[in-house]
Amino acid sequence: MSDDGTNIPGQGGRLVAAEYVLGVLDAAERQSAQQRMARNQAFADEVAFWEERLGALADAVEPITPPARAWTRIAGSLRMRDGAAPRESLWQSLAFWRSFAIGSAALAAASIGALTFIEITPLPRAPLLATLDSTSGQPSFVAAVNAGGTSLLVVPASLLAPDQRAFELWLIPAGEAPHSLGLIEPGQPVRIDVPRELVARITTDAALAVSIEPPGGSPTGQPTGPVIASGKLASL
Amino acid sequence: MGVEANRSRLVATLARVAGGDRAALKTVYQDTSAKLFGVCVRILNDKSEAEDVLQEVYLTVWRKAPSFDPARASPITWLVAIARNRSIDRLRAVAGGRRMEPIETAGEVRDPAPAAVDLVQAAQQSSRLGACLEQLESRQSIAIRSAFLDGNTYEELAERMGVPLGTMKSWIRRGLLKLRDCLER
Repeated sequence: MSDDGTNIPGQGGRLVAAEYVLGVLDAAERQSAQQRMARNQAFADEVAFWEERLGALADAVEPITPPARAWTRIAGSLRMRDGAAPRESLWQSLAFWRSFAIGSAALAAASIGALTFIEITPLPRAPLLATLDSTSGQPSFVAAVNAGGTSLLVVPASLLAPDQRAFELWLIPAGEAPHSLGLIEPGQPVRIDVPRELVARITTDAALAVSIEPPGGSPTGQPTGPVIASGKLASL
Repeated sequence: MGVEANRSRLVATLARVAGGDRAALKTVYQDTSAKLFGVCVRILNDKSEAEDVLQEVYLTVWRKAPSFDPARASPITWLVAIARNRSIDRLRAVAGGRRMEPIETAGEVRDPAPAAVDLVQAAQQSSRLGACLEQLESRQSIAIRSAFLDGNTYEELAERMGVPLGTMKSWIRRGLLKLRDCLER
């Protein structure tokens, strides 16, 4: 090619590093550059050179304060990765009661659905309930565990836009990595059978969370996408 | 706080993040999220996508903090690079949202385009890079700045500046080679 400067001897690799940092490569070329960085130190050094030098161009970008919920989401994801950290009890949470006081019809309907679900089962142990607050602090799902801990009903409490990505539900026992409970629907209640080995772990020490995953669910068995809602299980 | 004090503080806080200190990550977030969110919004042209990416950015910072080397990179540049890479990867993965408004080249500008305003600010704030960019043809330097700030591909830049793809590749590649010579001096 004579039009693009790549015919200059010895400059091909350098140019790709610069083009990667500049951001002009397409998806496949970017992926190949990222793989090359991982195995070729000279190439990685060249990328670092350009990042350091061109980085000053970002001075021209106007800062924009992100919404407060952005940090809540990040903190929630960290908790998920490291296992559930102790949280304020749901029943002491002002935000929880306020959400009822505000009278979100959707939440009320979801809660009634969840309570009905709980009461039709016998009571060998106390049933559990969790509201999964979205990052904006609004409840987005209500989850009810039946008294035996063998089955779970997840009811959307607010409308989420249809999304081709999957919503995956996670159980996070205290101090443990998340366990997948399967995929849920943003637009309708879903009943989930709890895997036998997890039944004993569904306790008030555990939390539930929903993350966004590629279609079909997380490819790794651990959350890979953003956490959109989370909440601690509490005894009724 | 001066630039150097800010930098030292950020380096120290990133070291605490590397040690697994979550409070330190929150401090980094408080000090840098407006800048990084601005970078993400600029590239993605969509605040809600940018918010998703911002979450990925700070989780990446949490994971990668142990590999941050203050001898090699300035902390804010390191953070900006993560924000840009995450944003561009996302932009390539989704359809739409790209900045496609035409870019005016300096000689023809009657009503300065935002890119031209950015240009002046960037040049003032980063003198070495600014001086090296000054040595390029103006259309080359405009193409390079737009590529960096908006995350456009060669094809998109060619369309925005109304030139053939080969011409755009040539402008940018030759511009980058000249820039490298100048920056190394």
